[in-house]
Amino acid sequence: METVKKEIPMARSMCWHCQSDVGGEYFCGQCVKVQPLSKDIDYFTCLGLPRKLNIDTGRLETKFYEMSRAFHPDFYEGKSEIERAVSLTNSAVLNQAYRTLKDPAARVEYLLRLEAGSAKDIPGKAPTDLFETLLEIQEQLEQLRAMKHSKSGEARSIASQLHAEKGALESKRGALERRLTELFHVWDRLVDRSSQDQIAKAEKGPVLTEMRDIVSQRNYLNTMLTNIEEALA
Amino acid sequence: MAYSDKVIDHYNNPRNIGSLPKDDKQVGTGIVGAPECGDVMKLQIKVKNDVIVDARFKTFGCGSAIASSSLATEWLKGRTVEEAGNIKNTDIVQELNLPPVKIHCSVLAEDAIKAALEDYKKKSAGPAATTAVAK
Repeated sequence: METVKKEIPMARSMCWHCQSDVGGEYFCGQCVKVQPLSKDIDYFTCLGLPRKLNIDTGRLETKFYEMSRAFHPDFYEGKSEIERAVSLTNSAVLNQAYRTLKDPAARVEYLLRLEAGSAKDIPGKAPTDLFETLLEIQEQLEQLRAMKHSKSGEARSIASQLHAEKGALESKRGALERRLTELFHVWDRLVDRSSQDQIAKAEKGPVLTEMRDIVSQRNYLNTMLTNIEEALA
Repeated sequence: MAYSDKVIDHYNNPRNIGSLPKDDKQVGTGIVGAPECGDVMKLQIKVKNDVIVDARFKTFGCGSAIASSSLATEWLKGRTVEEAGNIKNTDIVQELNLPPVKIHCSVLAEDAIKAALEDYKKKSAGPAATTAVAK
């Protein structure tokens, strides 16, 4: 399998089988052989979408089903080894692309990685205040776990404090979500403008940074809220 | 994925868990987080005559993150400030036998050490120097 993989040519311009120009199509116009997706194709391009954050999920789904049918390994039984390998690899990339773009949270994280090489490369400020709060809540959680099943007044008072903390964290998360929704629109407008407008390109940086900060704070909040819910259940 | 025995040991018997007084001039505090997984790590050192005499941590995260910070506090004690700066995440990976998916936990521990050392250096240099650093 490994050796076959190496034989799959990654260049998309030429058919691996008959060497004719395939011009980015998934099937060669001459010999109708399936073509491998480019190794570094991004998920938006793969599914024929602009690099925007508000996406038409209906269109996404239609495109996904259409491509799934074209690449599905079941249709390549009895074909050559290369074609079977291409079908398998393409299907895997396609599934990952669809899963990522379907979910708004995964979608924005993917875009941040795409635009910055790695999400870590966008300098963001560490939310130190939030960290302090989380560590304090963590301590209360540990206390509560240590008193498991105890009906003591102390356990009840910690539990009610945690309920209050949970409410505060949830409303903080709500505020972050609302701002993120706004930023999705800001980003999409910049994408529309940036093809001919240099200023729009420069404006992308700050929007990415703010989204990065929100996404990371949301991750901390999600993890903590899950823990609180488990402890209170 | 199975954790190594060393990770499990640190997880079950974390060394040096707790806090040191944050405002103490001899204490350096580093709080760092990993946005990808939502882990938060607080690591503190207490320095006397340039030697780390005490180290504490509090970590909110997975077993590997707890083990990495627990191990870091063990290693920090007795080192000079300069030696402490030489602890690398790869040393932690090796000692705890962390799998590739958990390497970021050791990176977090290294970041926490660096942040604590920086905080200590800032404090010990005095308020005048702090302003200079801020610019």
